[in-house]
Amino acid sequence: MKKLLLGATLCGLAGGAALLADLASGARWFQDVTVQAGVNHPHTNRSFDNPYAKIMAGYTALGASATVADYDGDGYDDVFVTDSKLGGKNHLYHNNHNFTFTDVAEAAGVAGGNDDEDATASSLWFDYNNDGRPDLFVVRFGHNALYENLGGGKFKDVTKKAGLYRYSNAIKAIAFDYDHDGQLDLFVGSYFQPINIFKPDSPRFFPESFETANNGGGITVFHNNGNGTFTDVTKKAGFNLSGWTLDMGHGDADNDGFDDLYIACDFGTDRFFHNNGNGTFTDITEKAIGFDTKKGMNVDWGDFDNDGLLDIYVTNITDDYMREGNFLWHNNGDLTFTDVSRETGTAETGWGWGAKFFDYDNDGWLDLYVVNGWVSAGKDSYVPDIFAMVTKPGIDFADARNWPPMGNKSLSGYEKKKLFHNEHGQTFRNDAARHGLDSTRDGRGIAIADFDNDGRLDIFVANANSEPYLYRNTMPAGPHWVQFALVGTKSNKAAVGAQVRLTAGGMTRLQFISGGNSFAGQSSNRVHFGLGDASKIDRMEVRWPTGKREVFTGIQADKLNRIVEGTGKKNK
Amino acid sequence: MTRRRCFRFTVRLLPLCIVLASSLSAAGLGDDDFDKAEKELASKQYDTALGYFESSLNADPDSLRNSSEYRMATLQRALALQPVVRGQPHEGKPVDFDREIAFFGKLTDAHPKSANAFLAYGFSYVDKIPAAGTIGQVILANTALGFFTKSIELKPTWIALYTRGNSYLYWPRIFGHGPDAVADLERAYAIQKTETRKSVHVRVFIALGDAYWKTDVPDKARAIWREGLKQFPDSQPLKDRMAKDGDALNDYLDTVLDPNKRVDTDLRELWRTE
Repeated sequence: MKKLLLGATLCGLAGGAALLADLASGARWFQDVTVQAGVNHPHTNRSFDNPYAKIMAGYTALGASATVADYDGDGYDDVFVTDSKLGGKNHLYHNNHNFTFTDVAEAAGVAGGNDDEDATASSLWFDYNNDGRPDLFVVRFGHNALYENLGGGKFKDVTKKAGLYRYSNAIKAIAFDYDHDGQLDLFVGSYFQPINIFKPDSPRFFPESFETANNGGGITVFHNNGNGTFTDVTKKAGFNLSGWTLDMGHGDADNDGFDDLYIACDFGTDRFFHNNGNGTFTDITEKAIGFDTKKGMNVDWGDFDNDGLLDIYVTNITDDYMREGNFLWHNNGDLTFTDVSRETGTAETGWGWGAKFFDYDNDGWLDLYVVNGWVSAGKDSYVPDIFAMVTKPGIDFADARNWPPMGNKSLSGYEKKKLFHNEHGQTFRNDAARHGLDSTRDGRGIAIADFDNDGRLDIFVANANSEPYLYRNTMPAGPHWVQFALVGTKSNKAAVGAQVRLTAGGMTRLQFISGGNSFAGQSSNRVHFGLGDASKIDRMEVRWPTGKREVFTGIQADKLNRIVEGTGKKNK
Repeated sequence: MTRRRCFRFTVRLLPLCIVLASSLSAAGLGDDDFDKAEKELASKQYDTALGYFESSLNADPDSLRNSSEYRMATLQRALALQPVVRGQPHEGKPVDFDREIAFFGKLTDAHPKSANAFLAYGFSYVDKIPAAGTIGQVILANTALGFFTKSIELKPTWIALYTRGNSYLYWPRIFGHGPDAVADLERAYAIQKTETRKSVHVRVFIALGDAYWKTDVPDKARAIWREGLKQFPDSQPLKDRMAKDGDALNDYLDTVLDPNKRVDTDLRELWRTE
C-alpha cells in the first residue's frame, strides 16, 4: 500500500487547452495494448461430449471473464482472466507496473479448473477471511472453487473447508455484507439448474419458456460465518428463485444503509429484492420495476445523473428480430424505478452483455461501456431456425432435442460495442468508434481499473472464443480526478458496500464499492471520481458498510488517498 | 345500440362494404345481448358485458361489429385493471386476453365456416401482442396469421386481405414476408377499387406503399402513396411518408411498425360513412 501511495501519479497539472484541442479534433483516447501488455491469451468456449452437444454449443458460448484486484498489495491492480475449454488454463496477470503483465496463474496455483466435470464461467475477488488479502472465487459450471490468498503470490484451494463444494451451474458471484456483521457474504447465481450438464441424464434441461422460464438455477446465498466457513441461508434470507440467472448487482437503492439486490435473468423476469436490514430480503419486483419478459444479461449500479441515488443499467437483447431494449432504471428514491433507456439513448446495444459505469474522461459524469454480440460465425443467420422452433405448436422448449443446432450460423454476431458518453445526466452519446472501442468480437465481461495509476481509467474486455482487449486510456491531461482506497476496520476490510459522497466544483457525486457487479467482470475496488475543472475537494463523506458516516478533510485532488475507517470526523 | 340505430347502421352498410356481407344475412341476431353488453360496459361492469357480447356472438358468429366491440371491451377491461405505473408499459397482462382467445376458439370450433369468426380469432391474438414479450409476440403473431389465412380461405374479403397483408409488415425483414404483404395488399387494393370510396380505404394506400418500400420498390411505394393522397389529401400518415426518404423514412417506418406498439384493431371505421 505504501508503494501505491508513493506511486500515485499526479496528473492534470497541464492546462485544459490541450484537452480542448483534442476534443475538437475528435482524437482517440484509448489504445489497444493487448498484445504488448502480454494479456492476449484467447478464450475458448467449452465443447461438450454428450448427445446434446451440437445443440448446447449454441447456448453455452460463455465463460470469458475478467476480474480485477491488487492481489499482492503492491499498489497496482492485477487481473484474472478465464478460459473455458477442456484443459484450458485460467490466467492471473500480475501487473508489472509498466503496463505489461506476467501470467503467474500456474505458480500461484489458480490456473486449473477446466476439466471433465467443470467449466469456468467467471470469477470473483473477495476477502472471505477478512485478512486484507483478496481471495479468489472461481465460478464454474460444475463445482465452484475458493482459493485463499496466502500472500507471497500463493493461493490454496479451500472450497471444501469453506463449505462451498457442491454442484451448480454457476455463472456469476458477488459478495457483500448484507447483514452488517463485518464479513462478506457470497451470492452465487446459476444459469442451468443443478444437473450435470456434462452428462445430463435427461434432455429436459433447457429453458421451459422464452419469457417466464422457472427451471433455471436461481441464486444461492452463503452467509459468511466469520471463521472461514459459509452456511447456505438462501431460504432464510428470503430467496426461493429458479430463474435463469445471468447476473446480480447489489446497491443501496433507498439509502437506508443496507444494500439491495437486482437479479437479471435470461428467459424471463428480473427480480428486485429489498434488504430489510435484519438479515432478510423481500421481493418487491412488481413495485420496483414491474414484471418483464426480457433476457436480462447485466446489472450495474451507478448514479448517472448525480442526484444522490444509485441507478441501475441492465442489458437485454435488441436486434431486428427481437426489440427488447435495455433498461436504464432511474431511481425514483422510493424503491421504484423508471426505465429511461430510450430517453437517454442507451436502449439499443444489440445482444448486450457486460456493461460498466465509469468516468473515462474525468468530467464528473458516469459514462457507460457496453459489450455485445452472441455468436459471430458464418454468414447464414440462425434467426429463422430459432423462430421456426418457437412457432411450432405445443413444442416443449425444455427438451433440448427440440432446439435446432446452431452449427456455423451466426446469431446477433459481429455487433459493435458502445461507449456512451454521459451528457450531463440527460442523454448519452455513442463515442465508441471515435475511441477505437467499437470492436465486433463477441464481448462478455468488462473490468475497469487504473492499471498504471495515472488517474485515467483503463478497460479490460473479455471476449468469448477470442482474444481479450486491454485498452489503455491515453486522454490528454486536463480534467482533475481523485481516487480512494478504503480500508474497513469495523466494516469488512475491503469496504465493499461503502458509499463515498464527494463535493467539488459545486456538485456532489456518489460512488460506492461494489462486490463484483456486472456480468463476467469485476472492476477495481478503488473509488474513482472525475472532477472536471475542480481542483479542490470541498467535502468528502464515507458511509461505511456498518452504516456509520465519517467526513474526511484535507483530501487532495489528482492522487490516490488511503482512507481508514474510524479516522474521520463522525457525521450523523 | 337501439333497434332504430341498428337499422340505420345496417342500411348504411349495405351498399358500402362487401366485408360485412356475411354479417348482413344474420343482421339483428344477438342484438339484444349486444345492447345489454354496451349498457354494462358503460357502467364498467366488464365481466358482465363480456358475457353478453359472447352471447351476441354465439347468436351471430360472423358479426364483425359484435366481435370488434367484444375485443375492445376486453382491452378496456385489461387497461382498467392494470394500475398506471410511471416508466412501465400499460398494456394489460397477457392473461387478460385469454378469455377472448378461448371464446373465439370455441366459436370457430362451432362455426368452422365463419370467415369473420376466424378473422376475429386472429385479432384476439394481435390484441394480446403488446402485453407479451418479444418471443411471445412472434408466437402470437404467427398464430394470428394462421387464423387470418383461414379466414381468407373461407372468404377473401377486403378486410381479411388488408389485415393479413398489414400484419406481414410488422415482421422483421429476415422472415421474408415482404412479398406476402405486397400480394395481399394488392388484392385488397383491387377490391377497393371496385367499391365506393370509404375512409378506411386509406389504410391500403398506406400499407401497400409500406410493403413496396420494404421490398425495395420505392417508386411504386411513392406512386401508391401519391395516389392515396389524391383521394385522401388530409391523411397525415401519407403526408409523413411522402415527406421522408432514405434512412429517415426507414426509421419512421420502423417506429410506426414497432410490434411493441398496440395495433389498432378497432373495426368501427368499417361501418363509418363519410
